[in-house]
Formats: sequence, structure tokens, C-alpha cells
Amino acid sequence: MTKPKGLALALGLLTSVVMAPAAYAQTLTVWGSEQQSDPLVAELWEEIATSFEAKHDGVSVEYMAPTGNISNGAVQAAIQSNAGPDVLLTNSGIGRVTIVAEAGLVLPLSDQYAEYGWDTKLYPWLYEELKTQFDGELYEVPDGIDAIGLWYHKDLFEQNGWSLDGGWADFTATLDSIRGAGMEPIAVGVRGCCNGGHLFGNFLQAAAGSEVMGHVMKGEVQWADPAPLSGAQNLIEAVKAGYISPQMTGLDQDAAIRLWVNKRAALFVGGPWFIGNVRQNGYDVANLGYAPIPSDLPEGSRPTGGVGWSWMVPTSSDQPELAFAWIDHMLSDEIMTLRAEHPTGNQMMSRDLPDIQPAVAVMSEVYAAAAEGVGYNPSVYIPGAALDTYYQVIGGLIGGQVSAGDGMAQIDARMGD
Amino acid sequence: MSNDTTRAGRAGAIAARAAPAAAETYKDGSQDSAVTGFALLLPAIALYAAFSLLPILVTIWISFTNSGGFNTQAEFVGFDNYLRATQDPIIWQSLLRTFLWLIYHVVLAGGLGLLMALAISAMSRGRVFFRTALFLPHLVSLAVVGVIWANIYDPFYGLLNTVLQNIGLGGWIRGWLSEPMLVLFSVNVASSWQGFGLYMLLFIAGLQNIDRSLYDAADVDGATAWQKLVHVTLPGLRDVMTFVISLALINGLKGFATVFVMTNGGPFYASEIITTYIYRLAFSAQDHGLAAVLCIMMSILAITITVTFNRWRARGAA
Amino acid sequence: MTWLRDFRILVALVPSTAVILGPFVWLIVSSLKTEAEIGAGHPFDLPDNLMWQNYVDAWNVGSFGSLIGNSLINVAGVVALMLLACVPAGYALAKIRFPGREWVFFGFIFGLTIPIQAIIIPLYQLLQGLGLINSLTGVVLAQVSNGIPFGIFLMRSFFLGVPNELTEAAKIDGASHLQILVKVFLPLSTPALQALVIISALSTWNDFFLPLVVLISPEVQTLPLGLVRFASTFTTQYRLVFSGTVITFLPVIILFILTQRRFTEGLTQGALKG
Repeated sequence: MTKPKGLALALGLLTSVVMAPAAYAQTLTVWGSEQQSDPLVAELWEEIATSFEAKHDGVSVEYMAPTGNISNGAVQAAIQSNAGPDVLLTNSGIGRVTIVAEAGLVLPLSDQYAEYGWDTKLYPWLYEELKTQFDGELYEVPDGIDAIGLWYHKDLFEQNGWSLDGGWADFTATLDSIRGAGMEPIAVGVRGCCNGGHLFGNFLQAAAGSEVMGHVMKGEVQWADPAPLSGAQNLIEAVKAGYISPQMTGLDQDAAIRLWVNKRAALFVGGPWFIGNVRQNGYDVANLGYAPIPSDLPEGSRPTGGVGWSWMVPTSSDQPELAFAWIDHMLSDEIMTLRAEHPTGNQMMSRDLPDIQPAVAVMSEVYAAAAEGVGYNPSVYIPGAALDTYYQVIGGLIGGQVSAGDGMAQIDARMGD
Repeated sequence: MSNDTTRAGRAGAIAARAAPAAAETYKDGSQDSAVTGFALLLPAIALYAAFSLLPILVTIWISFTNSGGFNTQAEFVGFDNYLRATQDPIIWQSLLRTFLWLIYHVVLAGGLGLLMALAISAMSRGRVFFRTALFLPHLVSLAVVGVIWANIYDPFYGLLNTVLQNIGLGGWIRGWLSEPMLVLFSVNVASSWQGFGLYMLLFIAGLQNIDRSLYDAADVDGATAWQKLVHVTLPGLRDVMTFVISLALINGLKGFATVFVMTNGGPFYASEIITTYIYRLAFSAQDHGLAAVLCIMMSILAITITVTFNRWRARGAA
Repeated sequence: MTWLRDFRILVALVPSTAVILGPFVWLIVSSLKTEAEIGAGHPFDLPDNLMWQNYVDAWNVGSFGSLIGNSLINVAGVVALMLLACVPAGYALAKIRFPGREWVFFGFIFGLTIPIQAIIIPLYQLLQGLGLINSLTGVVLAQVSNGIPFGIFLMRSFFLGVPNELTEAAKIDGASHLQILVKVFLPLSTPALQALVIISALSTWNDFFLPLVVLISPEVQTLPLGLVRFASTFTTQYRLVFSGTVITFLPVIILFILTQRRFTEGLTQGALKG
């Protein structure tokens, strides 16, 4: 007698398990910020989810920890394995977006741009740039833009009368003075990816300007052309003058940050995400100063960057409509302001927000520096095949293993691949 | 049959390897059916064929195509990739560095293993303690070793430079991972720190197998410790030595994790070896054709090492 | 005179052992410091207070519990499949007399020489085709396949050393080869099985290349891979990097010290015979 009863019970249980998801009509799986292991960041993203759920009845938002980015193949793997999210935020830039767009892994979004008016919710220069990338088709909606510049210690610069105003000669004079004070002028983690690229992008921007670098990124101007070449030459000179120690080629980004946080180095080249790094290390964020790299060019000093992180909708998304709504939610004034004014405050939002009061004071300096637009961080623009060569060449320039001409020619050789 | 019985001795297994395989028929001339044999081999053959043999064949195919990524169509391009390989300077540099890497590893890890084994075996007490203590690094994953040693080598905060500073050897301070001529050696030290323990154990086992009476005879002849080492110990270790060298070469050839973690092949390819360049071509540059050529080179190298050492060993045994 | 010889050896051996084990001591001391103490750059200063909190934080931030769990699953899977595949195969190649045996054996020897890095592209494609990318199953299958030639070599060498009379006597009693393997050979094989288990477990636990290529999500990653990710992307806090590193190697070291005799024996015999 017990057997049929047990069977019925099991069936009942099974039914309730199968039926359970129906109770919460829909779940939107979101691949969100990489920094959600930071409690402060997690709190902010919970707030964003709650506000979305309030607007959409019966929808629950579930965050999925990002497993990597397009460069290391994690996004592609997540989408192909069907274990992927319904909407995802990841490091973007045309080089990376091309990979997933050409493989048909993300949905085209120009209809949604028109429907939701996203074109008006971004910096005009940003939208113009995105529009030209895929013959008018759009695959990404920028969430934030990077603005890579020089980070300094306000107290030290004040005490020593150092400043990052003026042109290139003033800059090298300041670096000489820092060197004279026994500090490492510039800390950079060349090992691994990225930070060497931040530094080199800044040097190229200062020497060649954003228009030329834009052409270089598209392959219309060679890396070995005189203007970018002089940027590489400046990097070599900076190493020779002791502004950048060749030992930096053995450091990764974390080690460079440690050097800076402990005030053994005066400058670090990075974007606003650096605020999060130093806060975790117990550094007083009120002491953070930011300035774009000095330049003698008529366009003046500009940070580099471009699209840093974008929202995309995987073709495997179970909830494309909700995904579009989520992106629209992220672009709303409410969320934009919330994020810009939040104490985490370590990214530049993708449109002009004139009245915001950033919780982290130095963000005002970042917004001011980027007011005229930002230049190019090559890491996010050049094709994947050239990226690796690019990083190795930076190491070679700083380590004195390759001349500016040879190094740039090697990058050129990979640009067409 | 008597042949088989003597083989059951403790050295049997080693002898068996050099000797031809056991007789193929029973005394009455009968055999087992192939079905019986293959039934027991089935799990191994199935796994091995699918995940090892098939990929070997496909690698050869890929080396003749222009495959540019994991989800792209590939076309047959003949020997293009082989031609490109001859023109890629980094391939040749990485091969050269791989040879250098192998030599470093055999000398550093093999040498340290031998030294430690000789010292430990000469003691009358405390052998187990030292054997255990010195084996500890071998238990750490090479990737983790990379993380540890990257911190030891940190030019500003690392253990090594600070120690040198503190003991008055400030002049020896180096950028261990940034100087192009030094970086491969530095990373290899980390690898060898992890690797020597196993070689040490093998040498200790080899030393135990040396006939004690040879030493007694040497004592009677009034041989010095050095003479005993050169004329008794080292010749007695001959077999283990060739084995350790071939093992160290193969382990060295597979070396990847420490380089990947500590330098990623940099600065400017100064520590690029075959394995890291294969990874770079296959997973970063997505140039599968060229990567496959390098894979084939690596296999040929591995086969050459194995065959050469087996011949050498066979000749020594004869 | 023995004590004099011992003393002379100790004079050389103690300092070298200290240098070789120095990194462990430094790591453990550093793992108990505050970030500021590490940043001060004096590796020999002892911490003011032992920061056990570093271990708690590293454990939570790095999800070491799940990494260790994944590594254990990985090891268990590999060891089980290795035994299942290599023991019967080693027996067949040593004791069953059937046509084609030598060819099969040479086929396996060939695989012994091919490094996994040399076949990684098609291996990745194959796993992708089977939907096994980002799954421990995929890693286990590839690792077992890579380890099979060694395992078979080891088991075959051992079984060759067992006298043929045993097989023949059992055959006369009408036993099948499977029965002979299970009832006669397995009980004799403890040393070889021990060696096979120890060697496959250790190499799997420490493997990095295959997990790096195959395991993408943190939830499925194994310990060495997780630590490298933890050290390079998740944190710029060195107190966590150091304590996390200690977490990854301490369990194995303790296990080794507790079982060192068996462990050393298995490893040595396995390496020499395989």
C-alpha cells in the first residue's frame, strides 16, 4: 500500500518542481559588472535590479558572474554553450565587437535604437562613431566610457609644487623633479595585458592626437607613420630619462598599483576604474588627482579611451524583449544618475549628465578632462590578431629590445590579419 | 616459463621493458581470441582514440588549412603554413629558447636532485626528514609556483631583491623578470624548484640499488670518497640518470604554466617557448594553421627525445 | 665516525634546505600581515598581529570552497576512469595472448610521447562539438585520455612481473580472463594501483593547461586556475593573494606529510616502471 502512495507523492513533488518557475513568470539573466564581488558594487547593482523589477511586474533579475570577456573567449563560450545570459555587459570596442558580431553571436540593435531613441541618450560623438563601425548596423549600447589619464597624489604634488599643466616640456620637467626626489615617476604594469596599453595609448595621443590615431585604428594610417612613431620614440626617451623603469616590464598591473598606492611611484596611467582599485587597498580617495597627459597639439590634452563597456544581447537570449527593456532601463536618467553619484563612482557614464554630484570628488576632474571627447585606447580598437603583438611591442620598447620603427612595423604587419 | 618465473623478481618490470613482449601463444600453441583481448581494452582504446589519436590526425590536417578561428570555415592551402613558419622569426626564437629551457631544467632540477640525493643517502639518520622536506615544492602546482615566484622576483617588493639588499649584496639586484637575457633563466629556476624533488626521489631509489659490496671493495683498495663517487656511485646511477634526463627533457618540453603565469612570454618574446607560442597563436591570434605547424614540430621533438633516450638506455643495458 | 660524516653533511644540507623551503616560510609570514605591512616592503618583519582574517577574506572573495570542490571532483573522476581503463588494458596487453596485441601496445606507446599542448586545437574543437567546453567532464575525459598511455605502461609492466602459472592454473579451472583479473591479479596489485592512483591524482590536482583552455566560468574552475585568476584579476590586495596561495598548497602538503612513506614509494615505483 505504501508504494503507490510514495509514487503519488513523488509525482506530486515532481509536478510542483516543474511548475515552480511558472510562479515567477519571467527571469532575466544579466551578466553584469565584473566587480560585484566588491560589496559596495553589489549593493548598487541590487538597487538597479530592484528598480527594474518594480517597473516590470512578475520579472525577476538574476545576476550571473561574468566569466571573462570577448578577448579571452569567455563571452563566445557562454553564448555558444547556451548557458549564457539574456543580456550582457562586457568590455567592448570595435575589435572585440567585430568578433561576436561576425560570428552571429549577438543581435543587431539598430531597430531598438530607433524604437527607444537610444541615439539621443548617448554622447553625440559616441553615437556617430558607433554608427560608422558596421555600415550603419549597431550591435552594442555603451554603458560607460573609459577615460585614461594620469593619476597622482594630491598631497605630494602640492608639497613638491609638481603640476601636470602645460605642454610636453613641462611634463618632462615635472618627471625629472619627481625622479630627483627619489620616486619612480610612472608606475606601469606591462606584464600581462592592458596597463602597458594604457600608457602607450596616452603617449600616442599626446604625440599624434585623436584624429590621426583614429585613422591608425582603422588601418588608414600606418603605425610607422611619423606622428604615431614619434609617440613610440617619446616612450623610449622616457625610459632612457628614467621616467619609466625598464623593470616595469616585469610587473603586472597589480604590482604597479601597489607601487603607486604605497607612494613609491608618483603617477599611474589608468581610467576611473583605478578609483576602485585604490579604495580596496585602503588609499584615501580624496587624495586622488587626475589629469590627461600633457600635449603640445592644438587639440590640447585629452584622455584616451572610447567605448569601454557595452551592453549586448546574445542571439541565445531567451528574453530579447526584456533585454532591450533592461538596456533602456540602464540608460534612464534615474539609473545613470544613481550610478554616477554612487560612492563606487568609478566609471564615466555614456552621456552628458550636467547636474550630477559625483560622490568621489575626482570624478569631476575626469568629466572635465573628457568634456571635448576622448582619444583612442588602441587596446579596444585594433583587431584581435594585432593585439598580442601590440602588447609585446610595448614591452619591447620599454625593455629596450626593439626600436620604435621596427616595433611599429611589427604592429602594422598584423593589422591586416 | 622459467623465463617468466625469474621475471617475477623485483627488477622484473624494468627488465620486461627492454625484453621482447611475452610469448604470444600458450604451451599448446593456442591463443586467446582477439575479442577477449579487445573487450578488456575497449574503454582505454575508445577514450584514447577519440581524445588523443583523432586530434593528432586532425592537427596534421589543420596545418594544411587556413583555419582562422574556432567557428570559421577553413580551406586547404597546401604548404602555406609551413612556408609562413619558416618566415616567422618568433617560431625559431621560441624553438631556440625551448632548447635553452630544456638545458636549464636538466642542469638545475636534475643537478639539484642528484646533489640532494647524494647528500641524503650518505646520512645514517634523518633521511626521511630531509627527503620529505625537500620534496614539498613538488606538491605545488606549477601555476601556483608561478604566482609565488612572480612575487619573489618582484623588483620592488620581492623576497629575492630585498634579501640581497639586506645581506649586503645590493649590487646583485636585478630585474629578474624584465631583463631579456635573464628572464628565461629566472622562470626556469622557479620551474626547477618545483621539479627537482621527483628527480631526487628517483636518484635516492637508484642509490639504494647500488651493490654495497662495490663500496666495500673500494674501501679495501683505500679509495677516497671522491674516487668512490666517480668510480662506483655515478656508474651505478647510469640507468637512473638516463631515465631522469629523459624525464626532465619531456617535463621541460611540456613546461607552460610558469612562463604563462610569470611573464606570458614577455618582455617582447624574451621568454616565449614553444608551448606559450602555440597557446598565443591558437587562442589569442586565432591563427590555427600556423599553430598546428608548431604543434607538429613539438611532437617531432618529443618523439625524438623519447626515441633517442630509449636507444641510449637499450645500448647501456646490452 | 658516522656522526662526523653526518655532521659534515648537515652543515651543507641544513642551509640548502632552508633556502629551498624559504619561499614557504616567507609566504606564510606574509599571508598573516596587513596590506600596509606588506606594502612597507620588509619581508623579514613579523606581523604585529596575526591577520587570520586574511584567510577568511581570501576564502570568501576567491570562493576557495568551490574551487577545492571542483578540484576534488576532477581528481575523483580522473582516478576512477584511469583505473577502469588502464587496469584491464594493462592486463590484456600483458597476459591475454591475442593477435594484434603488439600493434595496440605500440599505438599506446606512441601516445606517451605526444604532449597535450600539441593536440590542443582539435581537442578543443572536439570538446566544443560535444558541448563539453566549460565542463569538468570535458577536462576529465581529455586528462584521462592523455594519461592512459602511462597508466597502461605502468599496469602492463607490473602484470608482466606476475608469473604466468597463475593465469594458466586459473584458466584450467575454467575462469575467464575478467575473473582472473579481478580475483587473482587485483589482490596482488596494491603497489601498482597505489602508484597509479597517486600519480594520476597529483598530476590532475596540479594540472593547469587543460583547465585553462576548457574551464571558463569561475564556478567550474579548479584550484590552480582559480588561484591564478584570483591573483591576477580579482584583487589588488596582496594579503589575499598570499593567503589564497597558502590555501591552495597547504592541504596537499599536510596530506603528503601524513602519508609520506606510501606516497614516496608509489611515486618512485610508478615513475620508474611507467
